[in-house]
Amino acid sequence: MRALRPYAEPHATGVCLGLVLLACFALTGQGLGASGAFASVASGIAVAVSPETAVHSAYFRSYLQDGSPWTAWLVVEVMGVLVGAAASAALAGRTRLTFVRAVRPSSSRLFAGVAGGILMGVGAALARGCTSGLALSGGALLSVGAWIFMVALFLAGFLAAPLVRRLWP
Amino acid sequence: MNDLLIAGGIGVAFGWALECAGLGDPPKLAGQFYLRDFTVLKVMLSAMLTAMLGVFWGGRFGMLDPGALYVPETYLLPQLVGGLVFGLGFVLSGLCPGTSCVALASGRVEGAATMLGLFAGVLLVGLAFPVIAPFYRATPHGPLTLQRLTGLPYGVVVALVTVIAVSMLAWIAKREAAR
Amino acid sequence: MRLVRGLGIGALAMGLAAPFTGNPSRSQQRGLDLDSIARAIDEGTDHVSARQLAEWIRDRRPGLRVIDVRSPAEFHGDVIPTAENVPIDQLARSRFAPDQTVVLYSQEGAHAGQAWVMLRSLGVTQAVFVPGGLADWREEVLSPLLPVNGSPAERARIAALSHYFGGSPRIGGEQEGEVAGAAQTGRNLRRRGC
Repeated sequence: MRALRPYAEPHATGVCLGLVLLACFALTGQGLGASGAFASVASGIAVAVSPETAVHSAYFRSYLQDGSPWTAWLVVEVMGVLVGAAASAALAGRTRLTFVRAVRPSSSRLFAGVAGGILMGVGAALARGCTSGLALSGGALLSVGAWIFMVALFLAGFLAAPLVRRLWP
Repeated sequence: MNDLLIAGGIGVAFGWALECAGLGDPPKLAGQFYLRDFTVLKVMLSAMLTAMLGVFWGGRFGMLDPGALYVPETYLLPQLVGGLVFGLGFVLSGLCPGTSCVALASGRVEGAATMLGLFAGVLLVGLAFPVIAPFYRATPHGPLTLQRLTGLPYGVVVALVTVIAVSMLAWIAKREAAR
Repeated sequence: MRLVRGLGIGALAMGLAAPFTGNPSRSQQRGLDLDSIARAIDEGTDHVSARQLAEWIRDRRPGLRVIDVRSPAEFHGDVIPTAENVPIDQLARSRFAPDQTVVLYSQEGAHAGQAWVMLRSLGVTQAVFVPGGLADWREEVLSPLLPVNGSPAERARIAALSHYFGGSPRIGGEQEGEVAGAAQTGRNLRRRGC
């Protein structure tokens, strides 16, 4: 197994992240995000599978009216995230292929992952953003909604943690 | 095209930074909620502080115009409920939308599982939208900022948020040193 | 750890220095508090209708000052009763007591709106302006269109107000729609979501 480079110092990495966000503000006038990319792709899928259903929902429509949902700004950005993360992991020897049976996480963990994802998808859609777009970018701009979202997020997480302790030994 | 090149570039840098900090590792992220691993708070608070101070001082030195930046709109009820639901999902999966991509990119199948769930969740909202639209649109407050809410000047709010965030980070550092 | 401590101290220094630098924005002038101005515009507390002003004048609202911001030459034509002429260039030098209600108007309202922002930047928060100016006064007060589907009491009220100022109402066929001026944010950004 290749040598594993330890993770970078979190505060310094956070500052780098903040600078990336700042560059985003300066270059595009808006923050970055992630959940919107999922919504965009979902809208693309919806319209491909059943155009009438997609058009019937104002939510999907909003992602379809500014050009193709597959090449939306956020989707391209998230592609970048995949590339950047893959590169960083590969260079640091941290790529852990857990698709291999021996190291695959338990099925309850995988199920919890899917369930968690569904909840986060719903939550992010309602809040119009997630930790990257709303909490981070909105928080930096002192948006009230962003702070409300963040506080609620951590509150729910801390309250629910004891209940799912079994997942995280 | 230019737009999308910038998008890609920002994304690469974003993903790189997240992976460097180890935020593609579900047990690490979940550890925040058991007060075992404070990486999530350290990274989030540092990033937010940096960007907030950067925007303020960038504006002060005329390098950018904070007033022209898009502030996300506030919808009190949906964002409160959305946050609660999101937090529950976060502690279940140990990932968030952005970090689920980081997890996948470093080969973790949990990343794929969470991403699948994310698509499903968003699809659910989209399909149910005609029914939930009134709730979704409830309690709008436009691009409300803390300074407009409290009536305090921008600089004062920046100072207060800085003090609170740095205090939290200092508390975390003290707690970790005591271990 | 020294790096982290340095970052923390740096952040604290930048944060604590922030309140002492005034509002950060290239477009700032002395004392221009964009946030409270934006709030007033948002909430609609920056203006009053011509009809509202007419009622204030008729009821002799205490502390009311009606200011015509046009040039002296224009002031010799049509004028709102009880108005004082303070042209825009002299507005900065005027004194307004905190308990006064200052109502600004101009020919069509544009100059009055600009005067409102000017006074706001000088710290005068008790001023409002009439968005349509004298044109609105003529149309809403002097010769108002009595709404066909309004109640008889309402029509009588509008007519009485008009007569008080020596005007005469018109009987109209269509209901005037409320033209809600959409706030121009001036942003051409396509919102892409988060």
